Amino acid sequence: MRNYIAVVFDDTTKAYEGLHALWQLDNEGAVTVHGTTVVHRNDWGGFQVDSKDTHPALATAVGVGIGALLGALAGPAGAAVGAAKGAAIGAASGGTVGAVTDLARADTRDESRYETGWVLGAGQSAVIGDVSEDTTFPIDERMRILGGTVHRRAWSAVRDDKWFGDSYLYPNDGYLYPYDYYLYPYEYIPPYDPWWA
Amino acid sequence: MQDTHIKDAVDQVRAAAQQLHKAISDAAAKRGGATKADLQAVPQMAKAAIDSIKGSMGAQNEVAKTRLAEAVTYLEATGKHAADGVKSSGKEFQTAVRQTVSDARAAAQKVSEAVAAKRTAESTQSARK
Repeated sequence: MRNYIAVVFDDTTKAYEGLHALWQLDNEGAVTVHGTTVVHRNDWGGFQVDSKDTHPALATAVGVGIGALLGALAGPAGAAVGAAKGAAIGAASGGTVGAVTDLARADTRDESRYETGWVLGAGQSAVIGDVSEDTTFPIDERMRILGGTVHRRAWSAVRDDKWFGDSYLYPNDGYLYPYDYYLYPYEYIPPYDPWWA
Repeated sequence: MQDTHIKDAVDQVRAAAQQLHKAISDAAAKRGGATKADLQAVPQMAKAAIDSIKGSMGAQNEVAKTRLAEAVTYLEATGKHAADGVKSSGKEFQTAVRQTVSDARAAAQKVSEAVAAKRTAESTQSARK
């Protein structure tokens, strides 16, 4: 079965250990990882995503992705709010999300915080992954050892939320735009960022 | 859990597709964006990956074959858009870079899906034994 997972950790260091562990499970053949990223929610409630200094043409997709991504993991209602929030913050920043949105967007932002709060609390970090797994045991057990809490939604359920459009480059290709553009298809560790500390 | 998992041809192809995406997305993320020099090597890398896929398809199950065939399509598009980018400039160049990144991402994902299909088939077979 193919699932989107969010593994929540109390700090960023643990989240990166979780990221390593997920790819290690892939390397062992226990699961197959299609893409990952790490998201952090700072003490002020803003979301940050590990991101390269993304090409301007892709920055909006990254920004839209974070709202949709977290919303989708909170269920259908969260997907709606998350997508709306993502659209609002998309143009603001590719790497630091939420902290720089203006007051006019505050209502959307606050609503999204509420909807996704069960996934990611202030000060916590999460590994987000698109994975194929025959059983949930390998990921659950490895993350439990690391102190992470695993949340899952079926890939098909996320698609059925219909808050994702087709790829703007390849309509009807089955991709979850902008979701799939947001996850790295390989392990990526960003350079040190003081915002994450 | 397969602690002694040995990487086979499809795993190697996947690593190549991931590396291709990484190379072009790293270039696109540079300050100032990708340059024509960054794109010049992409068609050759894409062709090498396509050749590897074609060489490994025969031994795969039907689902994996389908995914690999889709990956070939995306890799061909990756090479084409990179080649277009080398010959263009300005807005057309930026579009070509974006398309190249997108195609490489899609190719890596399709190969990854093929790996998942292969692993599921192997897991099912070993459970029956």
